[in-house]
Amino acid sequence: MNLAESNRQWLHNLITQGQHLPGQQLDWLNQTRQTARQLMASLELPHRKQEAWRYTSIERLTKYNFLHAPENDGTLPDTGIGEWILPDNGSYRLVFINGHCAPRLCDIRGLPRNVAIGCLRASMSTDGEVIQHYLSKQFVPSSPDLFTALNTANIDDGLFVHIPKNVTLDKPVEVLHLNLARDSELLILPRHLVVIEAGASATLIERYASHGSHAYFSNNVSEVFVNDNARLSHYRIQDESSQSHHLGRVNILQGADSNYKGVYLALGGSWSRCEIDARFAGKGAHCDINGLYTVHDKQLTDFHLNVLHNQTHCSSRENFRGIIAGSGRAVFDGRIVVDKQAQKTDAQLTNKNLLLSHDAEVDTKPQLEIYADDVKCSHGTTVGQIDPKQVFYLRSRGIDEAMARKMLCLGFAEEILEQLELPEVRSFVENRVQDTLFAPH
Amino acid sequence: MLQITDLHAAIDNKPILQGLNLTVNAGEVHAIMGPNASGKSTLAHVLAGKDGYDVTQGSVIYNGQNLLELAAEERARQGIFLAMQYPVELPGVNNMVFLRESLNAIRRARGESELDAVAFLRLVKEKAKLVHLDEKLLKRSVNTGFSGGEKKRNEILQMALLEPTLAILDETDSGLDIDALRVVAEGVNALRNPQRAMIVVTHYQRLLDYIEPDYVHVLANGKIIRSGTKQLARELEAKGYGWITGGAAA
Repeated sequence: MNLAESNRQWLHNLITQGQHLPGQQLDWLNQTRQTARQLMASLELPHRKQEAWRYTSIERLTKYNFLHAPENDGTLPDTGIGEWILPDNGSYRLVFINGHCAPRLCDIRGLPRNVAIGCLRASMSTDGEVIQHYLSKQFVPSSPDLFTALNTANIDDGLFVHIPKNVTLDKPVEVLHLNLARDSELLILPRHLVVIEAGASATLIERYASHGSHAYFSNNVSEVFVNDNARLSHYRIQDESSQSHHLGRVNILQGADSNYKGVYLALGGSWSRCEIDARFAGKGAHCDINGLYTVHDKQLTDFHLNVLHNQTHCSSRENFRGIIAGSGRAVFDGRIVVDKQAQKTDAQLTNKNLLLSHDAEVDTKPQLEIYADDVKCSHGTTVGQIDPKQVFYLRSRGIDEAMARKMLCLGFAEEILEQLELPEVRSFVENRVQDTLFAPH
Repeated sequence: MLQITDLHAAIDNKPILQGLNLTVNAGEVHAIMGPNASGKSTLAHVLAGKDGYDVTQGSVIYNGQNLLELAAEERARQGIFLAMQYPVELPGVNNMVFLRESLNAIRRARGESELDAVAFLRLVKEKAKLVHLDEKLLKRSVNTGFSGGEKKRNEILQMALLEPTLAILDETDSGLDIDALRVVAEGVNALRNPQRAMIVVTHYQRLLDYIEPDYVHVLANGKIIRSGTKQLARELEAKGYGWITGGAAA
């Protein structure tokens, strides 16, 4: 078999597997899945000649024969889940194992009436209208995407958050997506839906983690709706094993005068890519997306950011920083498009990278496409190394070289870390950043 | 405390120091003066252990050991402190965290216990007062966005905290207005004591009105060509470096 044939075969296997899904058999859902399945059949696998995949090869994925992860059988790591959750901070907690909700690990006691935090599958019977209204309908991708279609064709379970109008949620929502790689080559396809209704506000902390040493592929899609004058703080921490493959897509649609603040952390994984699409459904909204990636030996971490300013008076800030060590590779592709009608747009895109070794590599591509004439937009990108003058300054104060480099790396990350406004999240992430960069591998 | 004998040092094969001799005893303050490019900063850097300098000849003995064999951090732990001419900015590195890390590294080397957060805070506030450093600057990133005067005060604050045996002040007066100069000099003077030696590197005599040296040395073309008391500095001020270098040096 040549490469083209084997790729077709790989894709075909993925498509055909999803035909007998468990869970709810709703007409509209079946229709959505069916449409996606047809779309997939018409699409080819991404390749390096496509602009969006120029720097990221999917060869590492096609090596494996991924198979749908079975329903969780309820067995957990012997050590429990303590190491992946925040110290008791009184948040509402949900745990998903291989994409499926693990009810006995969840704790949503005291959840205000009318607020829904739970799993998508079960919520289809309780919140069917909301789900049907939003899921895969309100946010239409600008171009068809194979992996989104793969996820949509298999919609079954995932996170569901619905904060009703004018409700300010009293505690953060903490979600652990734990991937148990006990068997080889699992395909995990969670679908998440987050709806913050008009005037409501919430904080969502998501963490992708893994247990077990087998390869797996998490192809997850989140749809996030922050409606008029609503607010969402969204911390998304991807911190998985060196055998993990992670393709995450987050589609964000913001209503008028809404505020979305995202902090995206990519701390570990063999091959990981996060695609974030944000756009607006009303004027005067602010979108703030920050990110930090630490990339180690043999890892590939890719961030693709698309912010579409399609309404007037909206502002956005995209600020991503990366620290790349060993033979790690990073890709940052950040694109801001300002439509002709989106006057008074104020957008800034920044990407800074610190390379810790000669073999470390980053491909960074910030892009601004502006079709309006009354806007304030800028972008900037840097790639550098630790400044020996800074190292000497610290050493001349008695601090050894290893510690000096560590302090300077954390200093470089600080601009993103300080966006983590919850102290327990910050200290947890800071420790993980230190571990991923400086613990022996 | 410090014996420098026939020191030759080069950067990228370009000789800078060419046979420098200097002896410094505990309690003494030595001023090193000289025209631009005479090797003043090179001397300060070589003593502090900065990379990029090749010592091609000579020796530096500090408290009985070969200083040149020690890494920069090791020298700092043994009591050498360099107040830099251009203190670098460390964006994102909190000044307090930095100062505490530094002090504790040096305390550990001295066999003293590390200071806890409370004890450290008390100490750093007391020392900040000494150099009139706004406490707000302690909470900011090291030197980042500091004015020239604030950076120099932050240097002297570190010196006050670390209590070095041998302090080297590299052009600490450069870029300071007269008020800032006075504050920095007062900070330095408060640290003078019989156990501590200082090497004050400066282009101008002005600093020596505030920090009175025991000895003044004139460095030119990588060598000390004249040594004397503070009277020498005054003569230099009046007559210019050309008076002893024999040329038109500034």
